[in-house]
Amino acid sequence: MKSKKVTLEVVVSVIAAILLFVTFYPFFMLLCGSLKDKMQLIENPWFFDLPMHFGNYRVAGSQILWPLFNSLVITAGGILLTLAISGLAAYAIAHSDMPGKSIIYFYIISLLMVPGFVILIPQFLVVRDMNLFNTYLGQILPPTANNVAMGVMLMTSFFKAIPSSITESAKVEGCGSVRLFGRIILPLSKPIMATVAITTGLNLWNNYMWPLIITNGQKVVPVIVAITRITASISEGDGPLFAGYVIAALPILVLFSFASKQFIEGITAGAVKG
Amino acid sequence: MQKKALRKRLWKNKIFYLFVLPALLIITIFKYYPFLTSIYQSGFRWNGANVHMFIGLENYKELMGDKAFWTSIFNIIKICIGTIVINLTFPFLAAEVVTNLKGARKQNFFKMGFIVPMVVPGMVVTLLWKWILAGDYGVLNMLLRAIGLESLTKPWLATSSTALWAILAINFPWIAGLPFLLYLAGKQSISGDLYEAAELEGAGTLQKIRYIDLPLLSSQRKLVVTYMLIQAFQMFDQPFVLTSGGPGMSTLTPALHIYQRAFNYNQFGYSAAIGVVLFLVVVCVTIVNQKLLKESENMG
Repeated sequence: MKSKKVTLEVVVSVIAAILLFVTFYPFFMLLCGSLKDKMQLIENPWFFDLPMHFGNYRVAGSQILWPLFNSLVITAGGILLTLAISGLAAYAIAHSDMPGKSIIYFYIISLLMVPGFVILIPQFLVVRDMNLFNTYLGQILPPTANNVAMGVMLMTSFFKAIPSSITESAKVEGCGSVRLFGRIILPLSKPIMATVAITTGLNLWNNYMWPLIITNGQKVVPVIVAITRITASISEGDGPLFAGYVIAALPILVLFSFASKQFIEGITAGAVKG
Repeated sequence: MQKKALRKRLWKNKIFYLFVLPALLIITIFKYYPFLTSIYQSGFRWNGANVHMFIGLENYKELMGDKAFWTSIFNIIKICIGTIVINLTFPFLAAEVVTNLKGARKQNFFKMGFIVPMVVPGMVVTLLWKWILAGDYGVLNMLLRAIGLESLTKPWLATSSTALWAILAINFPWIAGLPFLLYLAGKQSISGDLYEAAELEGAGTLQKIRYIDLPLLSSQRKLVVTYMLIQAFQMFDQPFVLTSGGPGMSTLTPALHIYQRAFNYNQFGYSAAIGVVLFLVVVCVTIVNQKLLKESENMG
């Protein structure tokens, strides 16, 4: 009986190890490949190979450092805007008795199930007609409409769970609505703010289709679009391209290592959007 | 009297209307307004600039006979089914494997291992697989050659019979994704007493999976089906970057079709019409999906 259990544990461990290996190996090859020249990639794609061409990162960096900055601006701006707009709206819906609030809530979240590409063309024309083509704002605002809808949904249920005894006693002591929001609701809401920020941030950082159609040239192009356009000389081959992919993935990986719990909650929250 | 009370309540809450105003504005301008104009513009022959002529339902008539449109629908059905099957099996099995490991530290190591690749941007993964699936110097073909299966090598993305399946193969073994997290969370919520009782009855690991996990994780499976359906239906990035919908129309998706008609052919009115039809499709699929999921709930 005991030996049976031990063999089972060995079998399960081996399967887990194989699955993890297959999952990770392509990424490992990408990392190795980012340090190779064309001949090395053809002759030995499987493992690190000498000499290592760190110059690939210089070639890639010169092409995507500015787009990396653009992505940072767009993502940070979008997160701040989403948190502010959806926080205020969710607070009003959860903690007031204003007439029509359920209609307002329904209005905000009901287009959430419409896939973005269905209104791609008219959305493009609206942004173009607002003179926001090829600007940061043009990349931030339309996705923010989506993220706000999701943020309002997540935050409203969170705010509703804050006991009204807390808010009532603050009101009795003469705390106005704005101060109540800033002093009591917000400090209690750090977890949900983190969740919405991460979901929003991942959406904005990873977005490809929208910046593809609403930007032009290098000026405001985000890194996810820029990595599809990296060029290298013939002898360099794809090495610099791979280096660019690694650079584009690094910022989120670094953030993840600092806040993995919040990231996992943020990724999971994305599912309720459906 | 009642009117007066309502007015008083409205006035008392004026600050809150100010609070919801930005949300209402941004959603109206960037969601509702484009949504309504797309219905309106679908009645026009329109190149996005100077040609703007009302043609009634002509775009819809043309759409019904548009071979590319029907091909894209057929392709997306294959993609949706493939994506759902993949995500109901592989991540579930991985979650079972990981949670059946002994020792919290070992479990955590493998959990984290499968979670980390989730935060690699989707486009990086797509471009990485472009290399793996490439023709002469693609990693997959080199692997096949190395193990003596040279006859199986082919340019996976440039062959019309394999291109769609090659795109679905991206991210193999398909564990690092949201479904894995959902199954893990679901398994954690199952009470340990159940497993102990099953063990006392002499149940093995496979029986515990069959009689405890499979039935109790049904709500997670429903979430996975709904979420993956929505994700798969919107597929754009992979075919756009890897195949441009080709070879032929073998990887054309509805989202890519809309894009190409608008930005390659300047048929903005026609593109809007495709969007309207696809919106109706999404609504129908959502309703049917909800109905089916509800029915399966009633059946147990």
